[in-house]
Amino acid sequence: MAATAREALQDIASEISAPSRARAMLRLNFSRDSGSDRTFLADSFQEAPLKVVRAFSMEDGTALAHLHNVSGGLLGGDCLTMQVNLASGTKVQLTTTGATRIYRNREGFSATTQCNEVSVGEGALLEYLPDATIPFAGARYLQRTSIELAAGSGMFWWEILAPGREARGELFEYEEFAVRTRVSAIGRRISAENFCLRPKQENVSSLARLGHYRYAATFHICRVGLEASAWRCAEDRIRELTAGMTRRDEILWGVSLLVAHGLVVRCLACNGREVLPGLQAIWRSAKRHLYDREAIPPRKVN
Amino acid sequence: MKPEQELVTLTPSEELAHLRLLHLADSALPIGSLAHSFGLETLVSAELLRVSDLPEFLHGHLQEAGMLEAVACREAFHLALADGEAFPAARWIEINDCLSALKPARESRAASATLGRNFLQAAMGLEDFRALRNAREASLEAGGQIHQSAAFGLVSGALAFDETRAVLAYLHQMSACLISACQRLMPLGQNETTRILWKLKPAIVEVAAGSASFTLETVSCTMPLLDWGAMEHPALATRLFIS
Repeated sequence: MAATAREALQDIASEISAPSRARAMLRLNFSRDSGSDRTFLADSFQEAPLKVVRAFSMEDGTALAHLHNVSGGLLGGDCLTMQVNLASGTKVQLTTTGATRIYRNREGFSATTQCNEVSVGEGALLEYLPDATIPFAGARYLQRTSIELAAGSGMFWWEILAPGREARGELFEYEEFAVRTRVSAIGRRISAENFCLRPKQENVSSLARLGHYRYAATFHICRVGLEASAWRCAEDRIRELTAGMTRRDEILWGVSLLVAHGLVVRCLACNGREVLPGLQAIWRSAKRHLYDREAIPPRKVN
Repeated sequence: MKPEQELVTLTPSEELAHLRLLHLADSALPIGSLAHSFGLETLVSAELLRVSDLPEFLHGHLQEAGMLEAVACREAFHLALADGEAFPAARWIEINDCLSALKPARESRAASATLGRNFLQAAMGLEDFRALRNAREASLEAGGQIHQSAAFGLVSGALAFDETRAVLAYLHQMSACLISACQRLMPLGQNETTRILWKLKPAIVEVAAGSASFTLETVSCTMPLLDWGAMEHPALATRLFIS
């Protein structure tokens, strides 16, 4: 894991030619108390501006942690790393306290970078349910995420990209938003995404990209070891649900099988109001279907 | 006559290579290319894509999907050059696994894999190269897919085509197949089709040149709307295409 994180940081470092502002690491290691079947935050390493105050124990034994950025958002030139390790049999829910704001890049500084390294141990379950990410005008953001899923483990992981500060009419005024995500299950890559938008260099409204939609969301739903036929059934079930949520001119939902062990859901929307509720509806349905358990929405602390 | 206007004289072997490349990159090669729309059918069915949008759509498609496939084509091309030494089977598998993971919609992923397998099979029926046999055996053994761009690159390398010409030819046939699908889905005449493909050629050259600067790890492909179309294609009530 450490080696992989180092490689990822080197990968990002190679793309940084200008000085960076803050380098910070957040490492969270979760373990399971076998007596109570509760997950707890066994240890953590935190450097400002990244912060987790504590992990809350939920009614089903899941540990809920809120990811804070005490500087209020990602500043131009920040180089942040988050490592999350789930030991065998743990259940963890991670969320944010609000939208992740990516501020304008400072002149002469490198792009804001965020490197996420996630390891989900055998039989563990990670639910990563953040609010939207909002790149402000002039923002430059590079994100690298690597997720390793062990045998029997599972994951619900969504990410939502907003076009900017929509309320003030700031749409696609950022410089660059690039996300590289890798998901592997028992050493095999099952999903990869190299998503990059540069609104000032290319037409993001091209039908080859976003069309007239402004918000984009991706939702990975994985449980390692489930048979392909079970995934086909899950795909059909979620498609039934998303068909009812799709309105061609306003919001589109699509679902598909990954190479193995999971599904991916895509959403495109003209406004952000229905994206999060839609993702939550899919999460509830998928969790019931795959785990026979109810999804418990994360309690927000703000 | 200015130097850049001088006629290039090809050797007989270069002429033969050129003809073979034209043959293999012909969209009429019987591997099933014309049976797939890669999600376009959904966009047309949803009235999101119209004839007037096509030039810009195809240009964007080349910059995104075209760039990704061109990079894969180049990476596989170099594997064939190892012919005579041990075939780098692990890298071949890795390239194809990477492409599978980068294609979120199962129908488009399966279409690319079907065309790749068919293309490799067709090429093996024309020439016997150890690299092609090794590649097919390695993929069979690993249970992995063979994607069209990787197969095209590998075959081009084995046949000692010029690398950039091979990438250009691949991108050209990719665009030609997509436009052909549009002809069957939309009120698009042959003259207009020819004109659109003709005007796309500078973009093909640009993408082919740009693809030399990336690897499969660094190249981006951002087509969420077409991904949606490909994901929802199975749900269409009436379908002309397999994907």
